[in-house]
Amino acid sequence: MDILIISKYILIIAFIIIMVAALRASAYRTTSMGLLGSSVVVVAFAVALLAFGDLYNLTFYKDISLALIFFGFVGTVAFVVVMGGDK
Amino acid sequence: MIIVEYIQSIFLLIAAFLAIVAAVGLVSLSENMKNVVYARIHIIGIFDVACILAMIGLGQFLLAGIYFIIAPFTAHAIANGFYKSEDFENNSSLNVVSDEVDDSNPFIHHKSKIQDLENNDFSEKLKTDDRFSISTLDIIEEE
Repeated sequence: MDILIISKYILIIAFIIIMVAALRASAYRTTSMGLLGSSVVVVAFAVALLAFGDLYNLTFYKDISLALIFFGFVGTVAFVVVMGGDK
Repeated sequence: MIIVEYIQSIFLLIAAFLAIVAAVGLVSLSENMKNVVYARIHIIGIFDVACILAMIGLGQFLLAGIYFIIAPFTAHAIANGFYKSEDFENNSSLNVVSDEVDDSNPFIHHKSKIQDLENNDFSEKLKTDDRFSISTLDIIEEE
């Protein structure tokens, strides 16, 4: 098996692990930790989708991951503004 | 081409290693630690670098550049929002109690009212008031 394919699988497993860790961290008592954990989950899913699409030739996977990263950022900043970060 | 694949796989493996290190650090921090939210935001910075390396390794250079610009904005925005709204340890302006007191509540009074009452000297008033009289009863032990 090619080393590039193996490293892609290892990357996907590592990103699944950090998604679980971020879900655990988002259960912390403040709202900011929930925000942080959800943003990490979204970005980890987007990068795992990049690797997955590369392996299995999915259609539109680059567009989906770009949308996830960009709109995840927009949503995070919007939520911070609602929380009172722009006072 | 084989060299490029090796470089790509090295990037991906470094990204996977950094992601696992960030996951362990994210979970293992104690919740009772001081400023734990800022520490976790710092750990997420490691994960952001892992993401950028993974994107470079997967050949998505433009996406890596976009995320390289976006990631510090996200971390700073979350830290700023936490400080302005929820950080009761460091932000002293969140600990200020409002001076508004409900007058209909018989048990809660404004601080200035209580201080005025304490500063009043009631001894002179008691002397001049006829309703109060002091009587002393002399007791002789022999009787």
